[in-house]
Amino acid sequence: MMIASMQGVVKRYGSNIVLDYVDLAIDEGEIIGLLGPNGAGKTTLIQTLTGMIPFEKGQVTLFGDVKAPFSNKNKEKIGLVTQEITIFEELTAKENLQFFAGVYGLKGEEKKNSVQEALEFVGLSDRANKMPKKFSGGMKRRLNIACALTHRPRFIIMDEPTVGIDPQSRNYILEAVKKLREEGTTILYTTHYMEEVQAIASRVVIMDQGQIIKEGTVDELIKTIQHEEKVKIDVTDAGQIPLNKLESVTGVKQVNVDGNQIMIISEANSGNLDRILSLIKAHAGVLGIQADKPNLEDVFLTLTGKQLRDKVGEE
Amino acid sequence: MTIFWFSLKRSFSNTTNLIFLTLFPVGAIFLPMGEVWPFLPYGYQFFGIIVLFVGIRLATIILEDRAKGVVKRLAVAPVTHFQYLTQNLLAFSIILILQSIIVIYGGVLYGHELYHPEWLLVLFISFSFTSLAVALAWISLYRSKETSFLVYMSVIFLIVFLGGLLMPIEAFPDILQRIAVIFPTYWLSEGIVWIVFGNDISEFLLINGVLWLYTIIFLVIGSVRRIN
Repeated sequence: MMIASMQGVVKRYGSNIVLDYVDLAIDEGEIIGLLGPNGAGKTTLIQTLTGMIPFEKGQVTLFGDVKAPFSNKNKEKIGLVTQEITIFEELTAKENLQFFAGVYGLKGEEKKNSVQEALEFVGLSDRANKMPKKFSGGMKRRLNIACALTHRPRFIIMDEPTVGIDPQSRNYILEAVKKLREEGTTILYTTHYMEEVQAIASRVVIMDQGQIIKEGTVDELIKTIQHEEKVKIDVTDAGQIPLNKLESVTGVKQVNVDGNQIMIISEANSGNLDRILSLIKAHAGVLGIQADKPNLEDVFLTLTGKQLRDKVGEE
Repeated sequence: MTIFWFSLKRSFSNTTNLIFLTLFPVGAIFLPMGEVWPFLPYGYQFFGIIVLFVGIRLATIILEDRAKGVVKRLAVAPVTHFQYLTQNLLAFSIILILQSIIVIYGGVLYGHELYHPEWLLVLFISFSFTSLAVALAWISLYRSKETSFLVYMSVIFLIVFLGGLLMPIEAFPDILQRIAVIFPTYWLSEGIVWIVFGNDISEFLLINGVLWLYTIIFLVIGSVRRIN
């Protein structure tokens, strides 16, 4: 079931086109990893999708509502984790959650329970009555996430929720996202960290210059740029192996030897690894195999020509 | 009314605000009467200045929300920007009204001659709203609360001085006396003079009317929704 969509959305700031005929459909239960270099239009996409800002052309649908401002009933189904840490430092962690629960109309016992659950979910129960100004960066980020969860939204938008935090807190957040996925929550997740997207996303959307340039599962995206496979095999004695026989194996394009390591480049999906290993094993012992496969970062670099991680910061 | 209650709570949540909201106004009650000028005890001139500071301290809460992205977060919540603003302003207004009541009736209890405390209360409430509206418009120009507050302090000094709260307006050159009418502080000074010497109610209504006009203009300027 589709819960949100954008069709031919165009958004301009002056003469600058920030969203250029963007089409996106989000199905219930999906975790979409939204990737893009700075200025790609990710944050604008989020702001447009949630009805925060108007747009010039196209159509945005959210839980059946076609045009912003969306109904309060539908707004209650969304949770936004902002890139900035949008918590009140002068209120305790619990009061922060009570504020957002109250804004979403929760009252009495329901509010109390949901605040408690959100605190437990992000591992801050023991800090409930402490002021966030004494929290570490990671703990503030976790509280920032909890603020978007108190009303138990069906669709959570996370805009770079792990920027600038320690690996421990990052893991905690990623585990929390996985838990949300198991509960059936739909998540739109933007990040600069490829490994996060690879770990949690069921679908990846890559944006650049206001356009969605590619989307699909991680495997699908990798396949689009994978034209060859590289295998490195460590052997006991490379000199004993007849390289011409290896070169004649179906799909093999190139064979290189470096000491006792043989590097074989084959056409993508040639399925010749068994044949290669049999040939090698007939003449020498195999000590190790290392398959060099492209990852999401390679996909990103190929598609956008830009390095993502060294541009961490505000879009 | 979640925003309203939390706004009240946040208003008292730091030491500087506590001093501006409680200590300074209460302290103003105990200031003595001047020999020739001002016509009411010094505390009531200074309370005008305190109200200007309180206005910016309270409005800064909205500035913080905007700078931190809370406003952005609330933009996707089932609450409109109008509700957000009105609940905050309602909380601030209640604080300012209570402050005026305490200072004026505290002065009466202390034994000050305030002539018409009820009209003085009306005047200070009008001026408090003007102060809040001006502060709201002021913070809409800034993203940093520190810069906003520091620059506003200079502005306060200027309008307090030129508006006749620190020294009688008659002591100024003619040109400055003419310019003074554009400052809300001038109308507060005029209001205080009316409380002591005035008897034509229409003059008092005009003074309050001007303050309310300022309030409306600056409220409109300061209420524009700013997400980014």
